[in-house]
Amino acid sequence: MESLIRAWRTAHVDENGKLLASTISLTNTDLEEFAYSTNPARVAEDIFRTLEYENNASRPKITNKTGLEAWAEVYVAYWKVAQALERHDEVDWAQVFVAMKDMTQYVWAVIRGFQNGLWEVWQLEVLYTACKYLRYVAIRTDEAKRSNGEDTWKSLEDAARIINRAFNVCLNDRAELAQSRKWGTYYIINILFKTYFKLNAITLSKNILKALVANTTEMPDLLDFRTSDVVTFKYYCGVIAFLDEDYVRAEEHLEMAYQLCHKAAQKNKELILTYLIPTKLLTRRQLPSATLLKPYPLLESLFLPLAQCIKSGDLRGYDENLARGEDWFVKKRIFLTLERGRDITLRNLFRKVYLAAGESKTRIPVDHFKAAVSWKSGVELETEEVECYLANMIYKGYIKGYISREKGMVVLSGSNAFPGTGV
Amino acid sequence: MSSKPVAKPEETKDPKAIKKVLDEDDEFEDFPAEEWEEDETEVPGGGKPNLWEESWDDDDLSEDFSKQLREELKKVDAQKSGSESQR
Repeated sequence: MESLIRAWRTAHVDENGKLLASTISLTNTDLEEFAYSTNPARVAEDIFRTLEYENNASRPKITNKTGLEAWAEVYVAYWKVAQALERHDEVDWAQVFVAMKDMTQYVWAVIRGFQNGLWEVWQLEVLYTACKYLRYVAIRTDEAKRSNGEDTWKSLEDAARIINRAFNVCLNDRAELAQSRKWGTYYIINILFKTYFKLNAITLSKNILKALVANTTEMPDLLDFRTSDVVTFKYYCGVIAFLDEDYVRAEEHLEMAYQLCHKAAQKNKELILTYLIPTKLLTRRQLPSATLLKPYPLLESLFLPLAQCIKSGDLRGYDENLARGEDWFVKKRIFLTLERGRDITLRNLFRKVYLAAGESKTRIPVDHFKAAVSWKSGVELETEEVECYLANMIYKGYIKGYISREKGMVVLSGSNAFPGTGV
Repeated sequence: MSSKPVAKPEETKDPKAIKKVLDEDDEFEDFPAEEWEEDETEVPGGGKPNLWEESWDDDDLSEDFSKQLREELKKVDAQKSGSESQR
């Protein structure tokens, strides 16, 4: 116990947020020692005395009696967490979770209680760590129940409510900016996003964004926050916009996340690209190059064949590759967006027919398109079906022209018949 | 009742194992650092050579395509004349 509380003191003296946060972390190496250092009857008194001792030994003192009491409650709750984790052969995660909830509330009390100039922004790390592990433990608790057949995310929902309060504490802080808890806003939002995504409650994520927009006064510029907070936030904003089919906004967010992402963060870059690739296909008709996909074997195996089929107008290949990756695409919720890539494949095929006829030709028999589609899709089509495809392409603005049914001809615009070619 | 063994959750206190549970879920990971310089970003200032291809501009129409398309057209014509001669 002594080493833990000594770290509490050192952290305050050095204003070391990471060190302070480590004293309530589940990965603290002193966790086991701490769990065995006292017992339920003595824990409150032992912790208070140790804190008092370290406080008295500091010049100036770290806090007053109220402050000591608030911290003591945090560490008593932390001791219960440690005990639940270390003193049983089989961890009862529900028990850990109850203790974690208490601890988070007390951390919150410490933070709330220090409004009169005693709160300092470096201490935000403590709130981060509490929220982060609260979520971890909630997931463990629910998963233990789920593996016993109980369909629940109750603990995680519970955790989300507590973390949401931390979000509001940060968002609505009126302290001057240098010491404002507003600096914790994006970190906490990101934890909430992860939580809501796991709960499949995207609407709640949107509520967070609404609350954020309503509180822009005094909020520092996003780019003044830590880069890790910015990239994570932009990724989730991008995915939210993507799921809303607002691809223009999705592209802005994801592009920024990708550009600012740490170059060694392979997994995160892969996640960003998972959504950026379908997005750019729709917004800019752009496809990932082989070079871009090379470092990501999974993305390469799924997206590269699709890209090749789009370019070559290979309808059957497109359908086959889409079906091959369907499980993953559906899981990632990009399947419906990628389905729209079929239109682009068809459009490219029609354009090839046009180019094969010779650039200057503006009248091309419907039969030519029919032959091409039958060839590339492997299905013999009726003329009416091909006309339907053509009409659809014209309607969607992929082709400029009209169909002359009497003559069985497609009459194409003399200039820019296939918009997007830059011709 | 079935004798299906109930899978026991793998109990562990190892923080790495805690992390693994979350990784399986495929969510955005914590970065090893909180801040980094521009030269450590994926696309620093000037940008990288363009890694995106514009499918619209894929103009390299191969001979093969034209040739194959002519073959396919012949098939269509053959079908037509075939169906006409049947009438």
